[in-house]
Amino acid sequence: MSLADKHRPDRNPGDPVAAAAFAESYLAYETLTDRVRRAEYDRGLLESTAIPSDGVVRRYPIQFSASAGEYFRIWIVNLALTVLTLGIYSAWAKVRKKRYFYGHTKIDGVGFEYRAAPMGILKGRLIAFAALAAYAVSGEISSWLEAAFVIGFVFALPWFLVRSLAFNAYNSTYRNVCFQFRGKYSDALKLVLVGGFLLIVTLGLAFPYVRARFARFAASGHQYGTAQFELPSLARAFYAIYGRWLGMVLVLILVPALFGVLAGVSSKAGWPSGMMLAVGIVAGSIVVYAYIVLWLGYLKSRTTNLVWNHLAIGQTQPRMPASSPGHGAHAVPDARVRFESRLRARELAQLYLVNAAAIVVTLGLAIPWAVVRSARYRIQSLSLLVAGDLDEIAAAEASSVGATGDEVGELAGFDFGF
Amino acid sequence: MVAFDADYYDGKTSRRHPVRAHAEDGNLRLAGPALSLAVPIAQVIADPPMAGTRRILRLPGGASLQTDDDMAVTSLWRGANPIQGWVHRLERRWMFAAAALVVVAVFSWWCVVFGLPLAAQSVAGFVPAALERKLGDQVMSTLDQSHCAASALSAGRQEELYKAFGVLTSASGHGGGYTYRLQLRACRAFGPNAFALPGGTIVLTDEMAKLAQNDAQIQAVLAHEIGHVHHRHGLRMALQAGGLAALFATLAGDAASITSLAVALPTALLQSSYSRDFEDEADAHAFEHLKAHGLSTKHFADIMARMEAFRSRETGSEKSSGKSATGLDRVLDYLSSHPATARRIERALANQ
Repeated sequence: MSLADKHRPDRNPGDPVAAAAFAESYLAYETLTDRVRRAEYDRGLLESTAIPSDGVVRRYPIQFSASAGEYFRIWIVNLALTVLTLGIYSAWAKVRKKRYFYGHTKIDGVGFEYRAAPMGILKGRLIAFAALAAYAVSGEISSWLEAAFVIGFVFALPWFLVRSLAFNAYNSTYRNVCFQFRGKYSDALKLVLVGGFLLIVTLGLAFPYVRARFARFAASGHQYGTAQFELPSLARAFYAIYGRWLGMVLVLILVPALFGVLAGVSSKAGWPSGMMLAVGIVAGSIVVYAYIVLWLGYLKSRTTNLVWNHLAIGQTQPRMPASSPGHGAHAVPDARVRFESRLRARELAQLYLVNAAAIVVTLGLAIPWAVVRSARYRIQSLSLLVAGDLDEIAAAEASSVGATGDEVGELAGFDFGF
Repeated sequence: MVAFDADYYDGKTSRRHPVRAHAEDGNLRLAGPALSLAVPIAQVIADPPMAGTRRILRLPGGASLQTDDDMAVTSLWRGANPIQGWVHRLERRWMFAAAALVVVAVFSWWCVVFGLPLAAQSVAGFVPAALERKLGDQVMSTLDQSHCAASALSAGRQEELYKAFGVLTSASGHGGGYTYRLQLRACRAFGPNAFALPGGTIVLTDEMAKLAQNDAQIQAVLAHEIGHVHHRHGLRMALQAGGLAALFATLAGDAASITSLAVALPTALLQSSYSRDFEDEADAHAFEHLKAHGLSTKHFADIMARMEAFRSRETGSEKSSGKSATGLDRVLDYLSSHPATARRIERALANQ
């Protein structure tokens, strides 16, 4: 039995000493086994974000209680209403589906809430649709107008990004305290311009760096109540992941290429080539699809784990001694939260493959089942390590955010991994 | 009196206060270990119900209550959330889910078979011909940069072809508001071919001019292309393809990333089916057009037969082992964007 096992909270219910010891030994274990974190620990990076050992540390697995049957009914009823209203109802459908998933995602038995008003989402969708239509028509009318649209898009994209993050955060609440996104448009614009420039100049080699910057921008802009999210710079770690991924891709391409050469040689030796060709095409595409899914599983699991495992809440405002007055009226948040994400590449790839197969075989009827299954895996791989008490996070003042950004972001299919 | 257990959150902190709520005299009284307050029920908003999740009540001032007692909330806030409450009742029964499935299936089928072609046709009617011309010019310049060179036919031969084309487009009644222009090009990659660009430009390849035995056969081909322009097939195809993409995006929605590959195949199949319909329409137009100009549709049948012969010569010479590929050929035929040549020849002869 490892040190962490001995102090596991479920073996020592209600024992704060054991919980703290667990968190400490667990973090030590994780730091030693995760090469990236070990390197950072050696450089003194982790020290600042580690959970302090003086408080009580509790571990909260995130639970997911949705069921495929329930969601199937919600999905099909809302889809039918969407097509019957020629898409107008889609905003309501989105709210209902999100409410279902939020409500069934629980920490400590308490579910999240999604509070967006469908009307705001509908307006956002109409604006997004109008912009896309204007862009499509502009290309037919004159190439100058199209170029103007493209330049305008470069400047609008960060605005939509910031708006959609803010909209989504503002409408997400837990324990009646909402999330907020305070990232600035100017910073997002700088990211898009500099990131785009670097990607072009380096022929894509800067991608892991840009990705890390985006992840940091998106994560560090968030607040839960007054508690600030904080993500360190992860460019190095992203490079490590993408480097290994590239190695995998090269190996997996070279091996089948070799087989292809062998097959070519043997078919010259007199095998029925038409049949061989058909079998080869079918088998080849299945193998290629499986490879692609494996790569995706690797990338997705590693990058997601990386970001979650370095994310912290309540870190920016340093803990002030109780005797220091004059630092604002609100209490300094005492709660410190870290996350633990344990996605596995192979499990994720298997999930993707089974989902795709099920969806194809059932002509799409398995979509709700697949969606619930994916969400369950992703959510249940995540835990919170809380130093202090979930009860002790203060709410911040609220501000209303329109839905336009969110809808444009969704329509164009932007996914920054959050 | 209705009473229920709930968790109270003040909206300022994340602290949970377990309370007992009593409804009496139009007030909701909350009582807990560290809390006691009363709120007029009329000022409390009940969030719409959602399967398997707790009911949420919004109190004035940003506080909220969460409770598992759906019955109590439903009885106290009857008639709140008419739309989402009604949808929730639909979502709870398998019978309604089955009905919704039928609705979605029938609607999708209707959209693909009738709705999209109809919508594309009527939308295409609103697009000005000048805009179509512009689109066609863009395609032409792209072709000239990539695949096509100036025609290598002699000046005299070119003159004859322009003349044959002029005969087809001079008489009124078949123009449909377009100015038709013939462009002669040498496009090796396309072989003997002709194609219509939106707005009235029709491209004829040198290879096609050489394949035809006489000018009447070329006129038959050109009449078919005029049919494409007249019925605005290029524009309608683009619109229908866009509509299909939107429909599948709506249907797959949630799982778009998983299904993109699975959706590509049915989309391609349906698009070729649309394309075959357009070819039939252009053929029908060509038959009428030829007859109106006193030309026999037999020429259409002849050039079709010659093209088919040319194609099988081409593929025959490329295939190293002909016999085992017939199964694959049949599949490719099914995926083809053009109707079977034999059927087209039959129709041309029947339309004389």
